[in-house]
Amino acid sequence: MIEVEALVKRYGSTTAVDGLTFTARPGTVTGFLGPDGAGKSTTMRMIVGLERPTAGTATVDGRRYAELDAPLHSVGVMLDARSVHPGRTAFRHLLAQARTHGIPRSRVDEVIAMTGLEPVAHRRAGTYSLGMGQRLGIAGALLGDPGTLILDEPVNGLDPDGVLWVRRLVRDLAAEGRTVLLSSHLMHELALCADRVVIIGRGRLLADAPVHEIVERSGGTLEEAYLQLTAGAVQYRGRATTSPTTTTAGDAR
Amino acid sequence: MTTRTPATRVSFAGVLAAEWTKLVGLRSTLWVALGTALAAASLAYGLSLFAGRGDGPTGVSLVVAGSVLAQTGALALGALVGAGEHSSGAATATFTAVPRRLPVLAAQAVVTGAGAGVTAAAALAASALATTDARTRAGLVLELADPETARMLAGFVLHLVGVALLGLGLGALLRRPGAVIVAGVILLVVVDQLLATNPGQVTDTLRAALPGAGARLLLDDAALAALDAASRGPRLGAWGGGLVLAGWAVGALAAGAGRLCRGDVTR
Ligand SMILES: Nc1ncnc2c1ncn2[C@@H]1O[C@H](COP(=O)(O)OP(=O)(O)OP(=O)(O)O)[C@@H](O)[C@H]1O
Ligand SMILES: [Mg+2]
Repeated sequence: MIEVEALVKRYGSTTAVDGLTFTARPGTVTGFLGPDGAGKSTTMRMIVGLERPTAGTATVDGRRYAELDAPLHSVGVMLDARSVHPGRTAFRHLLAQARTHGIPRSRVDEVIAMTGLEPVAHRRAGTYSLGMGQRLGIAGALLGDPGTLILDEPVNGLDPDGVLWVRRLVRDLAAEGRTVLLSSHLMHELALCADRVVIIGRGRLLADAPVHEIVERSGGTLEEAYLQLTAGAVQYRGRATTSPTTTTAGDAR
Repeated sequence: MTTRTPATRVSFAGVLAAEWTKLVGLRSTLWVALGTALAAASLAYGLSLFAGRGDGPTGVSLVVAGSVLAQTGALALGALVGAGEHSSGAATATFTAVPRRLPVLAAQAVVTGAGAGVTAAAALAASALATTDARTRAGLVLELADPETARMLAGFVLHLVGVALLGLGLGALLRRPGAVIVAGVILLVVVDQLLATNPGQVTDTLRAALPGAGARLLLDDAALAALDAASRGPRLGAWGGGLVLAGWAVGALAAGAGRLCRGDVTR
């Protein structure tokens, strides 16, 4: 179980996370949603102790992450595909992580097999494709057979087969009673695999409810509900190339 | 996920094993170690060509002559371990496995020290080989039982270990390998050279307090005596210079530990 309470993170004048409170419960896949820069990755990094909160607390199974005796057995984390040295092989990378906890080498082979990385396990990670790096991240998260999983955009870059595999994996993990917190921008995917969603914008909580409830409330799809809820919190918006605001010269004519 | 792995926990021995796995699992560190030994031997060989009979160098001073180049390699080794962690992004995985953070730096100090020690021993062996001809020609013997010789050979190893740990500490502090090399070369070489252009009590004292004083560990007694006689600063001798370098290494590691403990692990 992950409990986040009144969490705040400031970087100089930017407030990345602004008084966020939510809970991710065991046996549930909690989707973590929000526009680019909303503070999802920052929140996840604070939960696993990589960043110090400016205020507030984040706990896993009631304890601060840094106080856990065996963090890899409590929480599996995949934050981004680049959390491996490009000069190291997947096998070495995972083996080093396993050794910190005395996890046997056989478990490293097991997660390599589970993620389908066998053919490239002894190749340097710098040569991996996006999806292969993503699989390595997931392998690292599964290494300690943890009760809680935190996955930041795990399907980003995976092929359709991989997306399906992750969907099944997180459903199975939750069915086994584990807690899964998963961020994604793919609404269609989340509608299929999440039980509950926590939506944030500009570091603040916008919604925290079961998927079906959110969908019913808006009367459309999860994507429509999401767009309505985050309409006021989008910080980075692209423009169509034909947008009238970019054709001031034309207006002057 | 049918087989639950047996419960294990973080231990220092485990973190040490992990850091060793990381160190030897990188080609860059292996190349730096090899390059350091070769550079030291090449320089020793080059200098040995000028060694003649008479009041020239002793046998052991030819063998340790490569340290000027080798220290850059040791610095790079420490930088790769300490800063490479952060610049490559691997820190995320490292510090989620060991969220208390400090055991990682302690383990890195042990493996970096060991790696530098092995590299230094290899550099000495290669330098001894490379200077065999010149030493025979000039009738210079390498007497390992001689205390001065033993001190200089041990000093060569200790000097490189000290510089590597300085690089590790700066790496944890600065987090970019390039920045560590620049800062390290400035501290070890550049400032000393600048101060040397203007000898005096103040500049000589400052020079004695720079990490480059560690190179005294591998100077022969005659060179040390000449250095101390010419200096208007404190007379450090060989071990005093070693202590100055050790102080710098400990200071850099403490500063790196401070940043690691207080700050965020971000890129
Ligand atoms: N180390 C840092 N220094 C300064 N600002 C940062 C840092 N890390 C994150 N931020 C800022 O914090 C805010 C939240 O970033 P975060 O990465 O958490 O967003 P996100 O919700 O994960 O976005 P995305 O969906 O694009 O991944 C952004 O404005 C970002 O620029
Ligand atoms: Mg993100």
